[in-house]
Amino acid sequence: MLTAADLAVVAFTLRIAALGTVLIIGPGIAVALALARYRGPGKSILETLLSLPLVLPPTAVGMLLLSVLARRGLLGRWLDAAGIQVVFTWKAVLLATMVMAFPLLVRSARTAFEEVDPRLDGLARTLGCGPTAAFFRVTLPLAWRGIVGGTVLAFARALGEFGATVMIAGNIPGRTQTLALAIFQASQVGRDDRATTLAGVTVLIAFMTLWTAEWLTRRRNRRVAT
Amino acid sequence: MIEIAVELPLAPFELRVAVRLGDGVTAIMGPSGSGKTSLLEAVAGLRPRARGRIALDGIVLLDTQSGVRLRPERRRVGYVPQGAGLFPHLTVMGNVRFAARGAGSRVRAAIESLELAPLLDRYPATLSGGEQQRVALARSLASDPRLLLLDEPLAALDVALRERFVPYLLRVHDEWKVPVLYVTHNVGEALDLAEAVLLLRTGTVEAHGPALDLLSRPAMARAAEAGIENLRHGRIVAHDDQGGTTRVQLDDGQALAVPLSSSRLPGEAVNLAIRAEDVLLAVEPLRGLSARNIIEARIVTLDRVGPDALLRCRAASASGSEPRPWLVRITPSAVDSLGLVSGQRVWLAIKSHSVRLL
Repeated sequence: MLTAADLAVVAFTLRIAALGTVLIIGPGIAVALALARYRGPGKSILETLLSLPLVLPPTAVGMLLLSVLARRGLLGRWLDAAGIQVVFTWKAVLLATMVMAFPLLVRSARTAFEEVDPRLDGLARTLGCGPTAAFFRVTLPLAWRGIVGGTVLAFARALGEFGATVMIAGNIPGRTQTLALAIFQASQVGRDDRATTLAGVTVLIAFMTLWTAEWLTRRRNRRVAT
Repeated sequence: MIEIAVELPLAPFELRVAVRLGDGVTAIMGPSGSGKTSLLEAVAGLRPRARGRIALDGIVLLDTQSGVRLRPERRRVGYVPQGAGLFPHLTVMGNVRFAARGAGSRVRAAIESLELAPLLDRYPATLSGGEQQRVALARSLASDPRLLLLDEPLAALDVALRERFVPYLLRVHDEWKVPVLYVTHNVGEALDLAEAVLLLRTGTVEAHGPALDLLSRPAMARAAEAGIENLRHGRIVAHDDQGGTTRVQLDDGQALAVPLSSSRLPGEAVNLAIRAEDVLLAVEPLRGLSARNIIEARIVTLDRVGPDALLRCRAASASGSEPRPWLVRITPSAVDSLGLVSGQRVWLAIKSHSVRLL
């Protein structure tokens, strides 16, 4: 059964995944909308760069992050001067999950925005809405399904993040160890029972997540389609 | 008075339109890709690259020289695009009151004008094309527009629905007193609805004038082949089961025999349509003819429309200050051999089966 240490790992993982997801929703929607509406040069380069973490080995992404954040790295130097320690702390776990989940959210949300008839935004304007109101009353509700879907995917990805995390946060029990890392460690040291239990918990969480998303989008769908 | 003097670069050409339009209904016609929709969008404020001047009754919407460019939400210009453009996530009620969350009376009036009460809880995906157009029109009206822009509101509808929608458009114009710019490909519609026609070709004004004057232009002839119809409103008088006909009295007093339609009650309002080419014309009183409807009339105008001749005839019995003329389409050789001229007395014959109840 679950020990106190197991429960702590589960709680830490959920907290990190939830926080990471919440933090990328706003920027993710903004970037997705910009990509959907932007029609200028460099669009495809931008899209490719943003999707890169999806296809790179997570350890490679982790390595890049590490080189940027290391004490003598581009950002690390500045963080170090400010007395902020990121590498091998929970902040690194959070950062790794955010970087890995961000492209998934952007991808779904961008497709959702692209599927909204762009004339509807203009129509809302002729009906007296400013650009912000038109976005919140027309474009956003119509892209809702894709955004929820993307958010759920991002959350699921954050739950399971391994490669990038292990590179920049290590696998420190009680400090940076998430479910995915704990399963790996348990199996490495021959604690197969613990690894199996934690894997079971992971399955349960993932199932609940997907099912909730399904329910959220289904409920909304029923009103619009037929 | 609507002043438009805009320039807008489009892909293959530049839209350059400078006109002053009246407060009635102006039909905007012209071949596909001549800039009709772009013109409407420029007026609505949806084309940021439009330059020039647009003013409505002296209220300046755009004047690039003095740096005025009212945002679309400040223009009070109602726009109904092709395909209605309803918000799919909102009910009919949600759509209609989208603009005017406060002003309930306008919303109620718009719902009443367009007879939307039975549809209010439905979502756009469940509506027919004609219903969607009515909702879109009501949504624009509820926003209290100073001008209505309609982009082919009838294009997506089949003929029967199309004719059922026309009375709503006429009612909107009469009741709400809003000037209307109306894009259409259909000459019959333009004749029915519009006082003036603006004809565009590759972004420039080819012609602008009263609807009927333009019909004689060759550019309109091809469009005219789409069909010109006599649309009439009337009431059921009685059914003749033995004779297989239903008697209808039109608003101008003219009685017509139409195919038996016993499901409609006497007194019920009906709209009906008769193709201009289905009206026979004789220069002497007719006897011994199977056609059930013979109308004595006088030729008002005689125009050439493409390969055909289009006559407007006023019924002798028609009452009312300005009865609608009957449109009759015949070949020029018939005009020649009968020696038809304006002012001449004629008899129009209409088979009851040529009358379609809408």
